[in-house]
Formats: sequence, C-alpha cells, structure tokens
Amino acid sequence: MLNYLIRRLAIGAITLLLITFVIYGLIRNMPGTPLTVDMAETDPSKQISPERIKQLKAIYGLDKPWPQAYLHWIGNVVKGDFGRSFSRKKPVIAIIQERIGPTLLLSIPSLIISYLLSIPLGLYCSARDGHTDERVISTILYMLYSFPAFVAALFLQLLFAIHLRWLPLFGMTGDQYEHLSLLGKTWEIFLHALLPVTVYTYGGLAYDARFIRANMQEVLRQDYIRTARAKGLGPVGVIWTHAFRNTLIPLVTLVGLTLPSLLSGSIIIEQIFNWPGMGSQFFVSITERDYPTVMGLTLMFSVLTLAAQLVADMLYAFVDPRVRVD
Amino acid sequence: MMACHCRRSRVLLTRSILTSTLTSTLMLLAFSGCPKPPDFPSGEAANAVGEGEAEEGFPELEPYDPPALADLDATAQWKDRPVLDAMNEFRKLKDGVPQLVSVDEALKLKNNSEEDNEKILSALGRPPAEEKEVNSDAQINRHLFGDIKTTNPLLQSSTSDADVLGLSAIGFFSFDWKLQPFAPSETVVSWQTSQDQLYDKVVIRDDLVWSDGKPITAYDVMFSFQTIMNPKIPIPAVRTGMDKVRWVQAYDDHTFVIFHKEALATNVWNCNFPIIPKHIYENSIPKDLTLTDSDYHQKYEQNPVSGGPFRIVKRVKGQEILLERREDWYLRDGKQVRPKPNFKQVRFRVIEDATTARLALNDGQIDEMELQARQWVEQTNDDAFYARNVKVRGVQWVYYYFGWNMQTPLFKDLRVRQAMSYAVNYDQILKKLNYGLYEQSTGEFPEGNWAAPTVPRQPYVQDLAKAEALLKEAGWTDSDGDGIRDKKINGKTVKFEFAIMCNNEQSRIDICASLAESLNRLGILCTVKPTEFTVLQQNATDHKYEAMFGGWGTGTDPSTLENLWKTGESRNYGGYSNKRVDELFALGQKEYDQEKRAEYYREIDQILWEDQPYTWLYSRSAFYAFNKKLRGYMFSPRGPYHYSPGFDSIWMVAAP
Repeated sequence: MLNYLIRRLAIGAITLLLITFVIYGLIRNMPGTPLTVDMAETDPSKQISPERIKQLKAIYGLDKPWPQAYLHWIGNVVKGDFGRSFSRKKPVIAIIQERIGPTLLLSIPSLIISYLLSIPLGLYCSARDGHTDERVISTILYMLYSFPAFVAALFLQLLFAIHLRWLPLFGMTGDQYEHLSLLGKTWEIFLHALLPVTVYTYGGLAYDARFIRANMQEVLRQDYIRTARAKGLGPVGVIWTHAFRNTLIPLVTLVGLTLPSLLSGSIIIEQIFNWPGMGSQFFVSITERDYPTVMGLTLMFSVLTLAAQLVADMLYAFVDPRVRVD
Repeated sequence: MMACHCRRSRVLLTRSILTSTLTSTLMLLAFSGCPKPPDFPSGEAANAVGEGEAEEGFPELEPYDPPALADLDATAQWKDRPVLDAMNEFRKLKDGVPQLVSVDEALKLKNNSEEDNEKILSALGRPPAEEKEVNSDAQINRHLFGDIKTTNPLLQSSTSDADVLGLSAIGFFSFDWKLQPFAPSETVVSWQTSQDQLYDKVVIRDDLVWSDGKPITAYDVMFSFQTIMNPKIPIPAVRTGMDKVRWVQAYDDHTFVIFHKEALATNVWNCNFPIIPKHIYENSIPKDLTLTDSDYHQKYEQNPVSGGPFRIVKRVKGQEILLERREDWYLRDGKQVRPKPNFKQVRFRVIEDATTARLALNDGQIDEMELQARQWVEQTNDDAFYARNVKVRGVQWVYYYFGWNMQTPLFKDLRVRQAMSYAVNYDQILKKLNYGLYEQSTGEFPEGNWAAPTVPRQPYVQDLAKAEALLKEAGWTDSDGDGIRDKKINGKTVKFEFAIMCNNEQSRIDICASLAESLNRLGILCTVKPTEFTVLQQNATDHKYEAMFGGWGTGTDPSTLENLWKTGESRNYGGYSNKRVDELFALGQKEYDQEKRAEYYREIDQILWEDQPYTWLYSRSAFYAFNKKLRGYMFSPRGPYHYSPGFDSIWMVAAP
C-alpha cells in the first residue's frame, strides 16, 4: 500500500510538471501578452512609448524565453510562491482564496443534492424499467440534461425573482448584509444561492441518474442477479445488496472525476448570477493573459484531478474487495 | 479617439477628466467580461524594480531647478484660461433649449423615433427649475459591467475604475460637452498659461479638504506628479504620456506651476493627472513601492481617503461599491461653499450579464444602464421596461470600419481599397444588421466636430460595376476561369482571397459576412475569421492580418488621431504612411490658432478619405435607460458621463 502510494505520488509529480510545462508553453505562445490589452485600452494621447513597453516587459518577465520563465515560475512554486497577478495587483494565492468560498458554496451543495437525488432516482428507474412512471422520469431527466443552463437561469430569474419576488435576482449578498446577525447572514446567502445551485445541479443530477440507471441495467442482466431472484430475494434486496454494490466502481470513478469541478466553478452561471466564483476568474485571466493567475489555477486544478484519481483508485479497493492496490 | 473595449468609452480619470484627449478606443468588445489591462508586476517584477536595475531600465525623473515664482511671474506674461462652473454652463445651455413636451408627457412617451427621443430629452434632460424639486437625500444605483480593480486613482486602468474614481477623486482640469478644456471653479481659483505656452500656473481653492479632514494643497499635486514619475513604482496606465511634462512645482499651499518640455497645443491634456494625499503616502511608498502590498496600503485600498465629492464607504468584491456624499466637500464651517452633489449615496452594482442587468433595471434594482443596440430595439419596448424607465439615445463620436492592411500585396493598391469601399452593401449593414439606428460615416470627424469637413462628404454607395472596373484596372481578373480573380505578382499567380478578422461576437460576424457575400459576387474569396479579443489585438498590433473589422471612439482633441495614422505609430494597424499626413500632425500640435489647426486636421481627414485605408461604415449612438425618477442627463460625443458636468447634472425628483 505504502509502495503504491509513493509510486503514485511520484508519477503524479511528474505528470504535474508535464501539465504545467505544456500549459505554460501554450499560453506563452498564444498571441497577446499581458500588455496587449493594456496598450489597446490606454488613452492614445498618452501612448505607451516603445521604451516603456520594454520596461514593462522586463517587469512582467516577458523578456526571457518562455522555458526559462517556466523554470523561474516552477522554482518559485516549489518555494511556495505562486507569483502575483499582473492585472489584479495581488498574490495569486489571495485571488484563489477569495474565490474558493463562493465557488464551494455552489458546488458542494450541488454535488450533495445531485447524488442524494440521483442515486434513488437511478435505482428507482432501474427497478421500474419499462413502466410508464420510469418512462416519464427518464424523459424528464433527458430533457433536463439537454436544457441549456442560461435559458433555465433566465426562466428561474423571471419566475422567482421578478414575478414571485421570493428570491433575489443576482449576487451573493444583499445591500444590508453587513448589518445582519449571523443567522440572518446565513439565511441571506442561502436565498441568494438557491437559484444558482438549482441551475448548477439539474444537469448533473440528470446525468448521474441516467448514468446509474444505465450501469444498473447492465448489472441486472447478469447471471448472479437472476440467481438472487431465483433464490426468492425481494426487489429491494436484489437492487440494493446485489446489483447496486456492483455498479459502485464506475460511480466512484465518476465521483473522482467530479471532485476537481468542485473548485472549477462555472463561467456561465457565475456570470448570469453575478457570483464571484472561480470559473469567471479563470476565463478573465486567460483573456488578460494574466500568466501567473492562469498557471496558479491550472496547477490547482491539476493537483485536484490527480488527487481525486488517486482517491478513486484507493476507493476501488474499498468497494470491490477483488481490487488490491498493491 | 477613444477606446471602447468595454462598452463604455474609456476615460482615464476623474471628475475632471484626466488624460483624455481624443481617446481612441478599440471597440472590439461589446460584451461584459471585457478584458482589463494589467497594471501590476509579478513576483519577477518585484525583483526587477529592485535597487540595482532601476537605473538601467527606468530612467529617473530628470532633476529640474524651477525658477522662483516671482521671476516666473515677471517673465511669463500670464494669460487667463477659463475657470468655469460646469453646472452653470449646463444651465445656460439648457435655458436656450425649448422644452418640447411636459415632463408628464415625456414620461408617458415610448421612444420609437428621433422626434420622441428629442422630446424626452428636452423635458427630462434639464436642470431643476427650483432647488426643492431635487431629492437631495436620494440614492442612485448605477450599473457597472465589471468590478473595479482599485480605489487608488494612480493605479486605475479600467473604465469601471474611471467611473467610480470620477466621483471620489479630485481633479483640477476638465472639459465640457464641446470637448473644450477648462478648470472647474469648484476646485480652482485661477488658471493661467504663459505667453510661450511652456508653463501653466494654477491657484487652487483654500477650502478643499481630504475626507480625513486634512487640507488639499499644491504639495499634494507635486507629490502625486513625482510619484507618477517615480521609475520604481509600476504605474503603466497613468504615467503614459506624462513624459511631456518636465516638472510640477508647488510654490505655496495653493499655487503650483506645470513646466512643459515643449510648447504644444496639446499640453493642456497633460496637465490633468490623478492626485493622491501626500500625508498618507509620503512615508509608506518607500517601504512598499507596489502601493498595494503592505497592510497599510491595503487599509487605504479598502478605505481610501478621497478628495472628491464622494467617498467610498463600502466595497464588496464583484458585487457593489457604495459611495456617500461628503458633507465636508460642499460645507465649510456650516456654510455652503460649493454646489451640493445631487445624491446622498451612489451605489455601483456590478452586473456582468447584460440580461440580468436588464432584469435588474426593470425591477428597479439599478436606475440606469447602457443598452446594447439589440436591447434598445427588441427588449425594451414592453410595459415591464416602461413601467419604471425611459430610454434615450444620443449621437456618439464612435465609428466602425473595415480596415485594410496596406502592407499586404492585396491592399497596397488604392484602386483595390476603393473597390472594397464600393463593394460594401451599406444598405444591408446599416438598415438590416444595425436596425437603421446609425448614420453612415464619412471619415474621421463627424458633423459637429470642429475639424469636420466644411461641406459634408458624399458617402460611398454600393456600386459593384465600379468596383469591378477598379479591380480590373488594378490587374485583378479571373484569368483561369475558376470564378476567383487572380493576378500575377512577381511572376506568381496570386488569387484574390483573404480573411477578415473580427471580434468573436455574432453582430460583428454578421457584418463581416455581409462583406464576404458582396465580395463573392465580385469573384473575391473572403472568409470571416472570428478572433478572441486579445489575439485580435495582438495580430492587429503586429500587422498580422489582411483585413479587420473594428471601431474607434472619440476623445477630445483631433491630435490624438496621430497614433492611428502617423507612420509607424502603435495603433496604425494597417501600416498607413503618408508624408504629408505626418507633417500635418506635427504642424497641428504646434499651432495655437484653432482655425488653422482645424485646417490641418481637415486636410489629414481629406487625404485619408481619398486613400481609403479604412472603409468607414457607420457611427454608433449611445443608448441608455434611465429610471423615471431621474432627470438632467445629456449626451456628449463621449456619452452621458465622460465629460463635465456629466454625472453631476443628473438628479432625482423629490416625492411630491
């Protein structure tokens, strides 16, 4: 087990190096630099002189070839310094910290709700396969899965914020937030989060439920299920004890793959609801060619992805005794 | 020309607008998520601005020994320059404009035509007849498409920064709706320029205080200048262009003189730079050159000491900025010394999504917003909109163009560029794709600009036969019968095919597609290449494109066109070069007689029109929605805010 862990960690470190190297190379070779937008926005009566551009390039470390700049960056990362954002005048770490809370506020409830609902739904659909109620649920799930988030968001905003006035239209807090008690603040954030969490969740929920159902159907065709039924086991026993346990491996993989998305946020939902999350930050940083922020976020996502895979692999052994991690 | 990357024209400063001369702004982005320029160094930067490297990379401000004020006064032959109360000027202007309908009628009108628009503006765009009409305890909720990045006027770079700092920062220069510079009487006693145009002497008022109660003095101005010019402090946006100023000297608490390096007609635009409180930053800057890193600087970034009529009292990242009127701005020992700002609180709500913003407007959560053309035409005609709001539009000096890269063999030839201008389907682009909202533009200066042609030009109209003849004359024929024109260039047969680059946005892609369709009929293969903003910008700067669709907004002085058209300038994307044009720009900068200057710029404009380095398409209006409680808005060539009085003239009606 320990050997396995060490081996995986070593491979992980090399993978990280490769990912960051490739991404660094890619963003540095995309046309445009952190100065490009700056130069476009500056008042032309006060054009940046070529000498000044040179100075700024030196300031941003753009005068060195990118592999050298990469080494510099990775060296600093090893020392725990993720650099400063070019455009936000702040350490990258501070930017990530600022965004983590709001991002998790949407993603964790969304993940929990999604699994809490999708597992029973998926199981129910497998048990009732072919019946009218299953058909109806499946069709609804399918429609939800393909329903664009921005349309759903607009509908929900119109209904709950404009017509019914039950929920706020946008934002994470209201104008009087700082004058509220702790309970009041929590309630306020809860109200503000309801719509975005709903939009964030329904697609994933539909996907997960269909995923579970599809896997279950495959398992339910197996001989040992027929055996279990032949033994006279009731439907609940068959589905829960015999079938579901055997669909856990793909589910664990899926959960593993979802973990990084906990922090990646969603550009569209964040923009529509004006939610200060990670997705829009990443998007803006790329447009601004804010290399340190882009790299900091890339590194974070990569670490999360690798960690989630490792955890998933370890969990396989747990859900399936035949799998040994050595 | 002024840049509108974002949907707003960008102005670099404040209440008295700082830098903007003809600000050219690329109007490439019309969505939120507009890219903002970087204005801060990385970790590497910290090293780079360290001790040793400063001398090499960052020349120090040249030391200057200013003459004594008495000597200067003896020799300068000072000429008075205008010191004005912008609101008074606004009132005078409006007194001369007839009110076409009553306020009640205007509020009931739906804005469906030019006449409706005029009626609404004539009734609602007025100052109050009496003080008591104004609800002076009002709060206004303004819309911002993107969050501000800083509250420090020295570090500002985005339009949002300028909008907010325009209320909280102090300035000693401004310009009006005719884009004429003046010193605002609320901060300045007198402004004089020397006979040789090398010095500007300003006496500021003695009743100005920072929001922490300390007096605002000329030493703050001198300190701010030196901070801006300090090579170790990374301030890209604001410092740019300041190299034309040699020195700023404070002679006493209220008198400072700006020393220019050269006598230029454009010097006035370099006089206005952001002012920060010396007593706050004097000792802290040497310890933290970034102005943001240290806890001390963080504290003032969160709670800045402001010199303007409003101070920032709350800032929730990505959500809102709340400003409150400073009573010590207009009251001194209980006596009113300045006009009282019309709002008690100004809340900027950051809403990046245009649809959410429109819903917030209908819901009364924001009181004003700039509308997209599509929103104007399609989404603001229902009762949900008109229940709370009115919409108004104004001419804006912002034009769009197809730009031809004259460094390519295709567009080097004048006849080809003219053929392009004859090929464009103006009807389709203006009437269908832009809903008939805009006028066709015919050059750099629109009607009303002092450098505009004395006799309006005839715009190009689509004429495919003429285009064909011109192409033939230029040697472009379909020699191999494949339906695409070709020409032998340096012994090689070249096909007439190229890509037109535009921002990745449907309305722009459609306009380029219209061009491609027209050219197709002429046997020219044009592909539309939607391009990410930053890539587009970089390719344009590097001249790595064949044709592009873009736009420029106006600033305040025609001289800034220089960087679009002078040989080798940074925004001269198409590589245009004309000796006479270069010469005329130099003459225009040195000439003080307005009429003569106008003639120089007119000649430039005429040469450009003949050379057609752009196919000028149309000028875009500004579209705004205002809550029905608001009054006093007016459109300048730079929109309703980015001039003086701008926001200051807007007021909210008191409840009857």
